Amino acid sequence: MIEKDIVITNKLGLHARASAKLVQTLHGFQSSAFISCRGKEVNAKSIMGVMMLAAGLGVALKLRTEGPDEAAAMAALVDLFERKFDEGQ
Amino acid sequence: MALGRARLERPSRYLVDERPLPAAEIDDEIERLRRAIELAREELGVLRDRLHGSMAREVAEFIDAHSLMLADRELTSGIYDLIRQGGYRASAALKLQRDRLVAVFEAMDDPYLRSRKEDVEQVIARVQAGLQRDSSSEERKLASRIGEILVSDTVAPAELVPLAEAGVLGVVLSSGSRVSHGAILARSLHLPMVVAAHDALGAIAENDLILINGDSGEVIVHPSSADLARFRAWQRDSLQRSRQLALLAERDTRTRDGVEIALWANAESAADVALARASGAVGIGLYRTEFLFLQRRELPDEDEQFLAYRTLVLGMGGLPVTIRTLDLGADKADNSVLMLDPEDNPALGVRGVRLSLRHPQLMRTQLRAILRASAYGPVRILVPMVCASEEMTQMRALLRECARDLRSAGHEIAEHVELGAMIEVPAAAIALPGMIRQLDFVAIGTNDLVQYTLAIDRNNDHLADLYDPLHPAVLRLLAQTITIAQRARKPVSLCGEMAGDRRYTALLLALGLTDFSMHPGVLLEVRELIATLDRGALRKHAAALLRAPTRARIEAVLARMAASAATSA
Repeated sequence: MIEKDIVITNKLGLHARASAKLVQTLHGFQSSAFISCRGKEVNAKSIMGVMMLAAGLGVALKLRTEGPDEAAAMAALVDLFERKFDEGQ
Repeated sequence: MALGRARLERPSRYLVDERPLPAAEIDDEIERLRRAIELAREELGVLRDRLHGSMAREVAEFIDAHSLMLADRELTSGIYDLIRQGGYRASAALKLQRDRLVAVFEAMDDPYLRSRKEDVEQVIARVQAGLQRDSSSEERKLASRIGEILVSDTVAPAELVPLAEAGVLGVVLSSGSRVSHGAILARSLHLPMVVAAHDALGAIAENDLILINGDSGEVIVHPSSADLARFRAWQRDSLQRSRQLALLAERDTRTRDGVEIALWANAESAADVALARASGAVGIGLYRTEFLFLQRRELPDEDEQFLAYRTLVLGMGGLPVTIRTLDLGADKADNSVLMLDPEDNPALGVRGVRLSLRHPQLMRTQLRAILRASAYGPVRILVPMVCASEEMTQMRALLRECARDLRSAGHEIAEHVELGAMIEVPAAAIALPGMIRQLDFVAIGTNDLVQYTLAIDRNNDHLADLYDPLHPAVLRLLAQTITIAQRARKPVSLCGEMAGDRRYTALLLALGLTDFSMHPGVLLEVRELIATLDRGALRKHAAALLRAPTRARIEAVLARMAASAATSA
């Protein structure tokens, strides 16, 4: 299991399209992935779950991946957050 | 502004059947819902397949998000449970689940995330529509809607394009905001849209004549004669403006001192080609072919590509068409069927001609399709991301091989198809004197040339202020490239964003450019500006521009150029 803390830096936060990119990024991995925020944890492979976190700009998240390719899945997740979901801001 | 008949689309038009569900019908009802969800996903797939052009990528992201929501058990299992355990009918279960989810969104603090309840509403509405169509087995028709102004609570961005195509004049929404994606897309479609007109659905009746103003956000029901006079005045002004520009469509492009300038159009869609013709472009200076390869499950075969290129060539009615060979890299690979290895640095990776030469079969298919289209009108082939002479030698050999094979198989192709290089890597600009003999023409791609010259990722916002064509190195590369090509008597055009940006028109004329290739939507305005500029006078400032050591000094020369143009005019 890998855990990592991250802060949302894209301006619009985890809205529908960003959540979609997150779910699509995880499609290729076998590991399960979870995001928790303000005491609530959701399945990061569920777009509804991610959207319902209501995580906007500046919110601190804990990412957790667990499974055979957990390191790669975590790296892909972190990369997506760092690229600000390719939103340009 | 738009004036038209109101056509109301109420959320309540989905009949919610509240009667209890007999236990014996549960399985059928579950099956009905499953089919409606399937139908909704198919519709989204169809909408996505039809996308092309500049907004395609952004709209596709919305469609993907909605498709994923429909596939998400966190959304659907609750609805199935309501049917199975709660005895609700599908439409009532959908409504309950919608209300539940919307309540969660409405409790969110972040205003943007709160507004995303729209996504839930749109997705559920699509399933409701699927359910109804299923029960009445009636095809949804988007027949002629000419003259209508749509009044609704919300509209999905993906729906705006088909609405505009069907002749809808404008949109009034009771929800939404001016910065919503739908509103931004509507502006780019020139579709007047008023948002957050809260009681629109109550105050407007079906077929009411309404006047809307997308800029001010006004909606006038039953406009008075004064309102109509105002509308007519606006109509006259905008017609006059478009006529003024339309007059220019017939004209050659000439500078004030009579030098002929060639304005080419960049094109991707049929609409771009039509606009290029209507604006009097001298030809297509850049036709991007990536859209044929993106977002699909299999590679386009030779016939499919041939038909696309032939449509383009025929559409231009004998004017030359410049087709750029595939310009993909690892950054776009996840959207394409090409299996490219992920790269740490796709901008410096296997892309453009590098990709083509590593997959010669892929390139042969494309070159054969282009050559076959050359039987229908003049065609030029443009190779992207060239940085060495050898690459052009190899492309030329591939092209010859394809032409020979096609001729021996009895295909009609043009005698001569010009082969040119995109100059967008500094190495190619610097090595151009040795490469120019191999090229039939040159096209400068400034978007990448600026990025690679300044070593600035143009998508990195921390560096956005540094991504600027007004850098001495960029101006020198531009001037050298233009001069070397002109001395060798090879046509040279410029097809980056700079070409259509009127802030740079005088600068590019000063550097000696005579061929500009731009989005056809800005062509008439650039033509209008060029007619006011004196090329001879501008050319005299070239040396000063190239000597200027800083951005500020370059801007000072540009200001002097503008001032002397104003006094001599």
